[in-house]
Amino acid sequence: MRKMLAAVSRVLSGAAQKPASRVLVASRNFANDATFEIKKCDLHRLEEGPPVTTVLTREDGLKYYRMMQTVRRMELKADQLYKQKIIRGFCHLCDGQSFPPLTQEACCVGLEAGINPTDHLITAYRAHGFTFTRGLSVREILAELTGRRGGCAKGKGGSMHMYAKNFYGGNGIVGAQVPLGAGIALACKYNGKDEVCLTLYGDGAANQGQIFEAYNMAALWKLPCIFICENNRYGMGTSVERAAASTDYYKRGDFIPGLRVDGMDILCVREATRFAAAYCRSGKGPILMELQTYRYHGHSMSDPGVSYRTREEIQEVRSKSDPIMLLKDRMVNSNLASVEELKEIDVEVRKEIEDAAQFATADPEPPLEELGHHIYSSNPPFEVRGANQWIKFKSVS
Amino acid sequence: MAAVSVTAGRLLRLRAAGAEGYWRRLRGTGLARSFLQPASAGEDAAQTRQVAHFTFQPDPETREYGQTQKMNLFQSITSALDNSLAKDPTAVIFGEDVAFGGVFRCTVGLRDKYGKDRVFNTPLCEQGIVGFGIGIAVTGATAIAEIQFADYIFPAFDQIVNEAAKYRYRSGDLFNCGSLTIRSPWGCVGHGALYHSQSPEAFFAHCPGIKVVIPRSPFQAKGLLLSCIEDKNPCIFFEPKILYRAAGLNIMSSPCSVLNDKKKKMEQVPVEPYNIPLSQAEVIQEGSDVTLVAWGTQVHVIREVAAMAQEKLGVSCEIIDLRTIIPWDVDTVCKSVIKTGRLLISHEAPLTGGFASEISSTVQEECFLNLEAPISRVCGYDTPFPHIFEPFYIPDKWKCYDALRKMINY
Repeated sequence: MRKMLAAVSRVLSGAAQKPASRVLVASRNFANDATFEIKKCDLHRLEEGPPVTTVLTREDGLKYYRMMQTVRRMELKADQLYKQKIIRGFCHLCDGQSFPPLTQEACCVGLEAGINPTDHLITAYRAHGFTFTRGLSVREILAELTGRRGGCAKGKGGSMHMYAKNFYGGNGIVGAQVPLGAGIALACKYNGKDEVCLTLYGDGAANQGQIFEAYNMAALWKLPCIFICENNRYGMGTSVERAAASTDYYKRGDFIPGLRVDGMDILCVREATRFAAAYCRSGKGPILMELQTYRYHGHSMSDPGVSYRTREEIQEVRSKSDPIMLLKDRMVNSNLASVEELKEIDVEVRKEIEDAAQFATADPEPPLEELGHHIYSSNPPFEVRGANQWIKFKSVS
Repeated sequence: MAAVSVTAGRLLRLRAAGAEGYWRRLRGTGLARSFLQPASAGEDAAQTRQVAHFTFQPDPETREYGQTQKMNLFQSITSALDNSLAKDPTAVIFGEDVAFGGVFRCTVGLRDKYGKDRVFNTPLCEQGIVGFGIGIAVTGATAIAEIQFADYIFPAFDQIVNEAAKYRYRSGDLFNCGSLTIRSPWGCVGHGALYHSQSPEAFFAHCPGIKVVIPRSPFQAKGLLLSCIEDKNPCIFFEPKILYRAAGLNIMSSPCSVLNDKKKKMEQVPVEPYNIPLSQAEVIQEGSDVTLVAWGTQVHVIREVAAMAQEKLGVSCEIIDLRTIIPWDVDTVCKSVIKTGRLLISHEAPLTGGFASEISSTVQEECFLNLEAPISRVCGYDTPFPHIFEPFYIPDKWKCYDALRKMINY
């Protein structure tokens, strides 16, 4: 079937009039937009929440589908490269937490859809999906994972330390990024450009003390900070019931209003983010969002993920709530796109990821001189002591 | 399946290439930077990063503590914890994910055996874990806390340094939290990068009131851990994670690859409880020309360096495993330096302010006239623990050997 499709697409792409005929086909067969009903969010200290219906245009739908598919494929590719030992380190994928964010794609893409590129975002270590949605290419992300100089952090950070414009990483110590996010929100408020900061953390990190310190400061000074708890029900190997006295993470902000969102549905996430961003931009102060999601794989590549939960549970979620499948079904059923079209996107995405993986494997590693760089901001460059008194490295920033 | 074949392939290449393969060009030369070019092209790169920088050398079996069993590091830890919980009815083990066995399998089976009120999970809060542990210890019960990685111990730094270490002092010996022991995986692991590879012993060495202990092998680990638990002072027990079994992917991958790696790092460890005294360094090998001091994983590195020195330079090295970082055994080290006149200290932590500086400073005070050459420290660079540059960062045997040679020729 795939070969036939490939042949068909080849034929079509050969013809110079393809774009014109494609557009004709589009306007003839597909609807421009469709309205969907989405789940109502649970609210805390809020009178009204995000709308329960939303309009999805065909253009947006295809864009989201492509982005989600790219993130998933990228993570699966990273998984593969890790097993081949081309990627090393502790790999935390987005697909269902840890390395690949299978099922967490809806979160990254949905959040991005609800904010502007000038807004800011910071998260913990499950950062690959966000790095992509914040504007970096797959090549740069995979090259960073393999530790090459084409990577976004020049190969020095690895999986957990990815940074892009208005994306502050990529942080290994969970909970530590939340006060940082509050600080970024303070800067947003100072600059007066109507920007917000999305500060993400997980259900495990939600029990860290510094998060409550950040809540207090953000509420006290009315900072435009959206605290987002990605609740995937397990902190490494501990389920939320056994880690938290209150698993209503959206209420944990106490004096901060909160909402609980279905994190597997991209439209739900998008509407909730728009609502939260509007709330913050109006100067009312911080708001808390809990995204209920799930992870298929283990916490990281070293965790099989089945020693603390059953395979049946994983299978059930995989078959019923997969976000990409949900979006696909919606689009096809309301005539926003055809199955073939989406399959074509799949093929294109796959090719893009393959290219990126090629690049990531072939790119040279950063030169050894860079070992000492970027420790301090230093002018003129100073010398870094090495393993013994005869080894010195120049540190340049 | 792919993982199995990949790992099997890696092990075969390991055996074939030998640990020296990549570093052959560096043998006997000064370590000018130009030699340390990463072989980024081709499969060489993939191969070099998979070779560990040391070879584990098990100690010979001791019969003085009764029947022994083959165990690797995490099994010996489990055995020690098992003995503690059996002997001491007030002992409790807690930390992140310890209930199902822990991320390094150190607490497997303990919850089933002793019940969920004695082995339980805590939420993700290091400061809370240690503070909570101090509270338990103050009432007299034995608290064994686990911090999932030594890199995460910093939120708990305040509790350890300001509360635990100073409890006895500030209460005039009315109260103390001596029955607190904090266990944590420590040190480089081959691919841990910034936040899974740190060696923070130097930060704690600066704090009177606590003890810091680091074992080099399963036999040492069990004895030292039992001593820490029974010691009437708060102790931090760092476990070299690279010695648990194979590192990284193989931690929970297919049984045969785990078995292959496990076989290399096993020792005969007594089943019954036994103690190894704290604050006593061990002279592993007697020598007359140079003293080499290290702890944890690095002991195996300097053992190889000593063998190389004997073979190539005819130099006889005395190897000391420090075991307890504070309070450290000044007498053993000084006696050895008085005999040999030369000292080389090695650790993975960064050079500036690392514990080698304390040893170096004390030794030059005590043994100044006996020194034949300046004391040499071979340590990690003064950078954050790197991701991609790890093989160049760690003080491997070639760097130590080079430093040793320069000392001999001083």
